[in-house]
Amino acid sequence: MTLLLQTIANGVLIGGLYVGIAIGFALAFGVLDVVDFAVGEWVMLGGFLGFYLWQWLGVDPFFLLPVAFLVFGVAGYLLAPLIYRVRSGSYARPALMALAFTFGISLIMRGSTLTLLGFNTRTVTTQVGQQTFMLGQIALPGLRVVAFAFALLVIAAFLIFLYRTRLGLAIRAVAQNRQTAGLMGIDVKRVSAIVYALYAALTGMVGVLMAAIYSVNAEVGIRYTLFAFFVVVLAGLGSISGVLAAGLFLGILEALSAVYVGGSYTYLIVFGVLYLALVVSPHGLLRRGARV
Amino acid sequence: MGAAVPRIALVLLGLAVLASLPFVLDPYWLRIATGILMWAGLACAWNIIGGYAGYISFGHSAFFGIGAYAAGILMGNRYGLPFGVALLVGVVAASVVAALIGWPTLRLRGAYFAIATWAFAEMLLQLANILEITGGTAGLTLPPLLDERFFFYAMLVAAVVTYGASYFLLERSRFGYRLKAVRDSEVAAESLGINTTLVKIQAFVLSAAIPAAFGSIYAYWITFINPTSVLGAYIADQMVVMVLLGGLGHFWGPAIGAVSMYLVNRIIWTEWANTTAYIAILGAVIAAVVLFLPDGLVSLWPGTRRLRLVRALARQMGRLSPRTGTAEEKP
Repeated sequence: MTLLLQTIANGVLIGGLYVGIAIGFALAFGVLDVVDFAVGEWVMLGGFLGFYLWQWLGVDPFFLLPVAFLVFGVAGYLLAPLIYRVRSGSYARPALMALAFTFGISLIMRGSTLTLLGFNTRTVTTQVGQQTFMLGQIALPGLRVVAFAFALLVIAAFLIFLYRTRLGLAIRAVAQNRQTAGLMGIDVKRVSAIVYALYAALTGMVGVLMAAIYSVNAEVGIRYTLFAFFVVVLAGLGSISGVLAAGLFLGILEALSAVYVGGSYTYLIVFGVLYLALVVSPHGLLRRGARV
Repeated sequence: MGAAVPRIALVLLGLAVLASLPFVLDPYWLRIATGILMWAGLACAWNIIGGYAGYISFGHSAFFGIGAYAAGILMGNRYGLPFGVALLVGVVAASVVAALIGWPTLRLRGAYFAIATWAFAEMLLQLANILEITGGTAGLTLPPLLDERFFFYAMLVAAVVTYGASYFLLERSRFGYRLKAVRDSEVAAESLGINTTLVKIQAFVLSAAIPAAFGSIYAYWITFINPTSVLGAYIADQMVVMVLLGGLGHFWGPAIGAVSMYLVNRIIWTEWANTTAYIAILGAVIAAVVLFLPDGLVSLWPGTRRLRLVRALARQMGRLSPRTGTAEEKP
């Protein structure tokens, strides 16, 4: 029983970070109408940025999180116009072209990281959360608790921005219907760029935490791309509460399958559930499944 | 292109040149030619579902891997079956799998289809890592056959069959028209009485059976396979890039894309002994093609399609107003 509770607790703690990865991705998906295949690569790049800044500056990675947020925000803001251009260009099949484009971006990110920085796995260590909290019989590693709390804080700030500001309102309007939003005087292109920048910033920042909790190497991106897809597909598009539930579910599923089935089966199970979720309920789970 | 007779003569001449290559090329270039034939065939197969049906599949490495593992398992010590039987079993297995997963998966569109096929292929990769019959991560060894010419001709026959089938089924038959109708508008196609589900599944099975044949030949050629080498995502990725570069939905696009990309791959490998830079180059090619040359290299051919690249560059320099000269929107 303790093992089960311990496993679930571990899953919940890591699931909070998966929510952090998927929530910006889900918003970018809704606003730009593009599935960004580079989502996991942003996490990977975030980990590397955290590692090198930590090495050079000697500052604890936790204090580098705002730096990562800024760096990836700028990077995303610069990349966004290209994606917007492909998505709304005069192509025969803009949705497929945009898909191929972000896929190309993800290959550039992974390939150049592999070429420039090599295959080696880097570990980021932090002074934060060295002690372990005990909750009855369940041990909660301090670092994961702090990372989880930080992720919750960021998600809360994100939701407040989305639901309590004028810009957030404009973003939600574009996500609902870009054409109508454009007619209402919203600069759809600018909103798209802001959303993409926000998403890249959030995802890159969570990447630093991921590198501190696990480690980072140039090929880790695929894993997070899978996780982001998993969360968004299970959540159903446009459902923020769905992202929260699906992220935690993914964390628990991963932890349970690693403990009770075996670590080598984890990916098989996660991919399997993703495939089944897509196939069994394309319109139920994804409300806009037929649109793309 | 001229009349029908010269075109046939041209094709025959091309085949004769290809068939004589093993007597002309040294072993190194013969291996490269064999690889080009394989990727040209794979890209052509992918083009059936990606270009003609308009469904971007990121899961075609699954079918290549099924073919390769059919050869690896059946030709290994336990069964010791001949190559032909293994290849046939691989093709049939891939077709059955494609039909089974095609029915539910092809109901999804666009990105959802891409994600689902990707998830499916990764599932197979994970299975191959775990199962005993596939040798797990250690992989399988096949009985070696040290005859480069045999593999060249095997790939050549497979590629010719692929292009022949693709030409007659997609460019010269009602099936091809049905498929293109489904791509351009599924609702309109259905309203014309086309059984769109059936047409899509047929196209998917066809585009899955071919990679299985190439996978079997490849496994026999390389004599050692493991999950990442024959089921890895890069196989599907490369098919996608080759077709996009050559020209999505164009008959000769895959061949042109395969020749260019494979040569780039080999040059990088021989010059720098580095395959990681190739991943970045693959990505850069996709991004550049999507931005500047969405109809692929075939659109550079004078007279066939408009020159998007030139026009895009000219537009950027401000010489042309955004819309002048774009009479036709759809390729």
